[in-house]
Amino acid sequence: MINVSRRQFLKTSATAAGGLLLGFHLPFISDPVQAGTSPVITFVPNAWLRIGSDETVTVIASQAEMGQGVYTGMTMIIGDELGADWSHVKVENAPNAPAYRNPRINWQFTGNAESTRSFYLPLRKAGAAAREMLIAAAAKQWSVDPSTCRAYKGVILHSPTGRRMSFGAVVSEAAKLKPPDNPPLKDRKEFLLIGKPLPRLDTPSKTNGSAIFGIDVSVPGMVHAAIQQVPEFGATFAPFGRESAEHQPGVIGVVPLEGAVAVVAESYWLARRALDNLGLSVEPGPNKSLSTAQIVEAHRQAMGGERAVKVTQIGDAKALIAKATEKIEAVYESPFQAHATMEPMNCVAHVTADRCEVWAPTQGQELAQIVVASITKLPPEKIRINRTFLGGGFGRRLLADFVAQAVLISKAVGRPVKLIWSREEDMQHDFYRPTVLNRLVAAVNDKGFPVALQQRVVSASQLHHVAPQAVKDGLDPICLEGAGEIPYALPNLFVDFTLMQIPVPTSVWRSTGYGPNVFALESFIDELARRGRRDPYEYRRVLLAGNKRALRVLDLVAEKSGWGHSPDGNRFRGIAFAHCYGAFIGQVVEISVSSNKEIKVHRVVAALDCGQAVHPDGIRAQMESGVTWGLTAGVKSEIIFENGKVAQNNFHDFEVLRIPEMPRVETHIVESHEAPGGMGEVGAVPLIPALVNAVFAATGRRLRSLPLHRHGFSLV
Amino acid sequence: MISLIVNKKKYEVDVSPDTPLLWVIRENLGLTGTKYGCGMAQCGACTVHINGEAVRSCVAPVSRAVGQEVTTIEGLSPDLSHPLQRAWIAEDVPQCGYCQSGQIMAAAVLLREKPRPTDEDIDRAMAGNLCRCGTYPRIRKAIHRAARMMAKGGVK
Repeated sequence: MINVSRRQFLKTSATAAGGLLLGFHLPFISDPVQAGTSPVITFVPNAWLRIGSDETVTVIASQAEMGQGVYTGMTMIIGDELGADWSHVKVENAPNAPAYRNPRINWQFTGNAESTRSFYLPLRKAGAAAREMLIAAAAKQWSVDPSTCRAYKGVILHSPTGRRMSFGAVVSEAAKLKPPDNPPLKDRKEFLLIGKPLPRLDTPSKTNGSAIFGIDVSVPGMVHAAIQQVPEFGATFAPFGRESAEHQPGVIGVVPLEGAVAVVAESYWLARRALDNLGLSVEPGPNKSLSTAQIVEAHRQAMGGERAVKVTQIGDAKALIAKATEKIEAVYESPFQAHATMEPMNCVAHVTADRCEVWAPTQGQELAQIVVASITKLPPEKIRINRTFLGGGFGRRLLADFVAQAVLISKAVGRPVKLIWSREEDMQHDFYRPTVLNRLVAAVNDKGFPVALQQRVVSASQLHHVAPQAVKDGLDPICLEGAGEIPYALPNLFVDFTLMQIPVPTSVWRSTGYGPNVFALESFIDELARRGRRDPYEYRRVLLAGNKRALRVLDLVAEKSGWGHSPDGNRFRGIAFAHCYGAFIGQVVEISVSSNKEIKVHRVVAALDCGQAVHPDGIRAQMESGVTWGLTAGVKSEIIFENGKVAQNNFHDFEVLRIPEMPRVETHIVESHEAPGGMGEVGAVPLIPALVNAVFAATGRRLRSLPLHRHGFSLV
Repeated sequence: MISLIVNKKKYEVDVSPDTPLLWVIRENLGLTGTKYGCGMAQCGACTVHINGEAVRSCVAPVSRAVGQEVTTIEGLSPDLSHPLQRAWIAEDVPQCGYCQSGQIMAAAVLLREKPRPTDEDIDRAMAGNLCRCGTYPRIRKAIHRAARMMAKGGVK
């Protein structure tokens, strides 16, 4: 009997991630050369690159490809500095290893729209170092000064003599050289790949079914597991008989875990059917009457309570607001949300006495490794976490609960196991984006502009399960994104925060803290502008005074959306702006609303300064993606707790955007040579307030809680 | 034993007749391009063709496919040459890619029935195929592009 599971995972991950600085070393990246089996000689200048005598350049992607295009983006960055021939470039998943840690926090993960931001310079240096070694090797053979040579599209050129040699021809010599410490980086005017319209590297495999996601992995001897977790948080299953299931044909075993039961069989469907036939029933626990209404009420009480911890103080907002003759106040509410990745949670694990290998669609290879180590007691070098394509991530796959389960089940049955969660399990056992309450209070001057702003955020933690050590002194930095640090110049600002403890698991979800906080702020700014009878765009211009990058983006979105001119017919517009993930973004949403509250979103115009744009078409795709995410969460989807469990089961009651509801998206990218910002989450951030502001323009109704479905609105 | 013809190839599989076609295709035949998304015909990720008609294989028992021509994404073309695949690549449609097999299989039926679909036709035909990443604008573009390619080159 095994007694570790999701709850154990939660504890384990909390301790494990506390030890971020443990230095693990894995040998997996060292030597791809298979002497005797292949005539190809491979040059491995660093952890990021392999260059073969067959001219193939393989980039090792530290970051998980989950749709955001990071395979292509990373490869463009490293390939550009290298001087690679794009048609010879391949990309491959990195294993778990310290070399692939995000240098900012020394931790291997993919999330927080951080891949391009954190890896831009390291990747350029890695590509440049390899380039310098290839050049040095060629120059040596030609007996010329390396500074007279250059790398261009997979070839080393010696301009004075017109000599040329392919990368493949110098790899064996280059491999003998010491990598330079500070290779020169290209001037941006020399970029041949960065900023260019290149096709995504993963597209062909995603149009013929050959891309391998976690759920597609198959290893020799593998058996299949289905799982049911106790639907009620904190409850247990009543005792049940295992024999009937174990006697069914094809069934290998029933594996009870803490808070869950798995059935292992020769095929997934046999496992699933046997699991369903177990007739599991719940013994209610302490949360049996828990509901969303209760949780939100507790948040409301905290909003009026005295527990809040100070986050930001500029000037003396509290005193000014206290003595203001008129103050404007509003409370905004964002609901619980599920990630609902199209690919449900799954994992293949193979545990033996001296080794554990995992194949998983994961954003968190390092956490997965630590969780596996805690279960198997194996040393880190005996644990390999292979990453596949991810069928969506959105933050859910940073966690390793499903990895822990697969490892425990494999250990119990002594065979490689593929665990697949049903959609219902995926919906009911997520780590949800917590509900967030935001109260904003302003004192305004006689021109209608805020002289003081006070904001209180009330939320359960978003960061706890990902990086528990970063949640301290009552503050959760992710919950506070977009609060305190705002793009508007306000002389008096006071922000505080109340961290809630609730009995449901919560974590980061695409748009993280910015989503709820920018919804609140940008709605409130709109309210202040309307109240002062000012145009919401012009009003923001005044507040952004002096912030050139921000103003340029705001002006561009106004211009491209035709903000100064009334839209046609019954159409209305809303605008919102944000500075998030290192990018500046403005969006205008143009809608019409029918008498029975059907919203048609005709177009979304976005302007963006995300610094140096690495892959502009990928940025446009992410904008389309963000709009989709925002429309779903703004109008349609919501997780509701009733009787201690999640009321939603599948896509019929957790509705996401469908194609008829999708507007045209026009993306305008400001040419910028600032450091790159992140794009994976940016597009979703201002979308909801821009939409809500448009609904106000159309109907005169100010909607302060989401999704708009609650107020009878729908998308058509 | 159940006999199946999938992508013009014959298979014999030893499964119960009520097993969903999806799991037979994925596990017994090893054709993993067809995806599990919801198990209740809500998302379209498992879309395959039976005799040219789009079917949600997660709710179709394998018995329904006996004696029929089943086509999966792997059978659409041997070499990414189907106009929809070419159009999907030209428009760089996929993001995470998980739903795309189902999207393409649904679009193939649409184009057979409406060789020059309007946006409204596309919206109607594709409304049952969810994409959480939001590739919808590019799906529309790619279907129009494929329709143009087929009009020029004749329907394959």
